Amino acid sequence: MLLASANPLEFNLFPFITTIVVFATVAIALGVFVWPKILKGLDDRNTKILGEIAAAEASRASAAAKQKEFEQKLQEAMEQSSRMIREAKTEAIRMGEELRTRSEADLAERARRAQEEIESARRTAVAELEEHAATLAVAIASRILKREISAADQKRMVEESLAGMQGQGR
Amino acid sequence: MIPLAIPDMPVMSSMVPLLASATDPMSHIVDKKMHQWNILGQPVMLSMVTMVTAAIVLLILLRFAAKSIATGPESMGNRRFVSRSALGGVIEVMVLYLRDEMLEPVMGVRLTRKYLPFLLSMFFFILSLNIIGLIPFVEVQEFIHSLRGEPFSIAENGTMAIFGGAATASISVTGGMAFISFVLIQVQGFRELGVKGWLEHLCGGHELVSGSPLLYPIVLLVFLVEFFGLFVKPAALAIRLFANMVAGHTLLIVFTSFGALAANAGLGWFGVGAITAVSAVGAMLITLLEVFVALLQAFVFMFLTAVFISLMAHEEHEHDEAHGEDAAHAHGAPAH
Repeated sequence: MLLASANPLEFNLFPFITTIVVFATVAIALGVFVWPKILKGLDDRNTKILGEIAAAEASRASAAAKQKEFEQKLQEAMEQSSRMIREAKTEAIRMGEELRTRSEADLAERARRAQEEIESARRTAVAELEEHAATLAVAIASRILKREISAADQKRMVEESLAGMQGQGR
Repeated sequence: MIPLAIPDMPVMSSMVPLLASATDPMSHIVDKKMHQWNILGQPVMLSMVTMVTAAIVLLILLRFAAKSIATGPESMGNRRFVSRSALGGVIEVMVLYLRDEMLEPVMGVRLTRKYLPFLLSMFFFILSLNIIGLIPFVEVQEFIHSLRGEPFSIAENGTMAIFGGAATASISVTGGMAFISFVLIQVQGFRELGVKGWLEHLCGGHELVSGSPLLYPIVLLVFLVEFFGLFVKPAALAIRLFANMVAGHTLLIVFTSFGALAANAGLGWFGVGAITAVSAVGAMLITLLEVFVALLQAFVFMFLTAVFISLMAHEEHEHDEAHGEDAAHAHGAPAH
């Protein structure tokens, strides 16, 4: 029987064959025009996402390596700076010490020179004083004696005065 | 069939289709002849026109969805990988779920890639038929005919409607779909196993066939069971889909016709209104359930076809492949 009746279980060959033909047509059309595009789009997206994830993981690994390298360099820099500071301190102390030693030596030298100059000045002053005192003594003596004293007498008297003064100084 | 007592009221005369459905729900559900159209002398059935219409609509919608899902031009940047329409988004979610969560764990990657277009076509075709069946196109057309005073049906099991109805509530339609599944399952069996392997599969496997002669009665028994199983499996597919659709639509038409039955029983406007309101709420709830059933049955038909196809795959090879895939994709083990 080709046609259906009111019985829903009645089988009809016409819709049966139509179903096969229509579905086969739909499946072929969808298989050619629809599913390849959809599945390719989904695969492209999947590939893109996986690629992005892989790239992100690679970037993260690279960043971690760079961070480690940076931390290592930072550590080295800190150690180097500490060493440099330590060396600079040592050098500064050494230079300070050297400067102080040099200053002290310089100061001592200056003091020595000043003492020598003082001594020299004192000797000069004493000599001048002695000479002046002798001259004065001679002048006084001349007035007292009221007579002229020759150069030889003057020299002899000066020497005698000096000897007398030196004897008194002792 | 209960004889109709149509009240002498103009509005009531337009309820004739509903009354007819109420007194005989099956008359609403069965496939109807379209006497105005004939092919090779045979009247075209309503389900045939509905199928062709559903196929055309499906092709247009999926073609549109494919364009929005396909990778766009480079100028769009990363947006080219994103669906550019709501329909595309819905189709994409369904395809991804079916492929990644349902089919690949059962069939493995190789068979899924091979049969995915066919299985998706089957799912969406059945789904479109189921959904169209939920929309009362035929009832609306018959209502309009009855308002015009034209006959809404011709002879027994005929209709003036030109489109609509639940095509999957016809055993001929679900039988056709099951026949396609049957052919594909057997083709897959022959291609994967060869004739000898296919026969061994029917007899319980190589170990049983090449075993002791004492096992031959068991081999014969297994062969009989498996041989009948070849036909029972697709038959079960056809009957399951058909029965679910018939049951759902019967329930729906019974709910929607309570008001007409009340009117036919002469309950008065208040009684008819109250019963109609309650039955309308019930019908809405049943319709929501039917939307779920439409999805579920389309999925079950497609999924069981996938399971039967995977059962015909070379078992050792598939197992090895599946284990490899599991490691790569963290999917579940094959069902077989």
